[in-house]
Amino acid sequence: MRRVPWIALAGGGAALGIRLLGWAAPWLPPLPACPLKALTGVPCATCGLTRCLLALGQGHLREAFHWHPAAVVALALWPFAALWDLARAWRGRPYPPLPSALGWRLLALGLLLGVWALQVARHI
Amino acid sequence: MESLREALRALLGPGTAFADLGATPPQPGRAFGRMLLWWLPPALLYGAFSAWNALGEYASLRAGHLPAWLGLLILPGLDSDSSVAFLRGLPAPPAAGTVALAVILLVPLSVVGIWLHDAVWDHTALWMLGALKAKRGFRATLLAESQALRIAALGSWIGLLGFIRGAGLWLALPLGLVEAYLWLFRGFALAAVHGLPAWKGVLATVLHAALLGLFTVLLLGLMVWMLGMAG
Repeated sequence: MRRVPWIALAGGGAALGIRLLGWAAPWLPPLPACPLKALTGVPCATCGLTRCLLALGQGHLREAFHWHPAAVVALALWPFAALWDLARAWRGRPYPPLPSALGWRLLALGLLLGVWALQVARHI
Repeated sequence: MESLREALRALLGPGTAFADLGATPPQPGRAFGRMLLWWLPPALLYGAFSAWNALGEYASLRAGHLPAWLGLLILPGLDSDSSVAFLRGLPAPPAAGTVALAVILLVPLSVVGIWLHDAVWDHTALWMLGALKAKRGFRATLLAESQALRIAALGSWIGLLGFIRGAGLWLALPLGLVEAYLWLFRGFALAAVHGLPAWKGVLATVLHAALLGLFTVLLLGLMVWMLGMAG
């Protein structure tokens, strides 16, 4: 390994954290509400994420998907990203720069707004 | 003391505060450690005061004192006697020791979480603006966040004024303005480490804020427009 595989490590750490969160769920105090939703009544793009992670930590996949489908899809893709990262790290290849084409940047913006629209439309 | 003076100077003149950051960047671990050292004390105090206030308000609720606005929100169908009975039946709050332990464990996690969150979204915003240079990646953004948030921790001390009983409401606007300034302040550090003009770094923090609130503004605008059409 000729560089630190940060994506693989972060994903592994996140998976462990989610499992711990699920284990600690019965003892957790009530979580604070989203300030944006409390003020405006409109959920933010990450509304439902904490409940999604709690459900995921307890192994309730369907419930987790209900609270934040995009997060579950992203987590399902993580093993592939981790393998890609480990393979590159093994060969000592650095992370490639983010694509600079306008189309990719607009696509990312569209995805972000799309996830948000999904959460708003479902009153999460 | 010298560091404090430098930090105050940076807050008052952010345009030149991070001039050396691009050319002679400090070690990322050292910058992160210094950020924690400056930010954790006010953050722990903020967490402790918030928990103390929340416990006080909860105890008041359990004693049957329901603020009118909360009553309208959560107990619209109950009469006064039923409301008091309901409130007195609420479960006991966690012990003070448990709350203190939660504050001590959760505040450092929150501080690191905010640092990472700001770095990820500011970096994304820089990328969306087409302002990233290939040779300066996410590590540079993490460094900029460490430097900027260390100095912005001074604002966290000012934010504690909001807990002064009776003054919180009056201070809400000035504290909000300080908060907004400290949000934009990160942009100057981002610009310095990525070798950009200051306005691009600041614009990235504005885009970050817009991504958080833009959709809500659009939706509220649509609702107002629909109400206007209906009227």
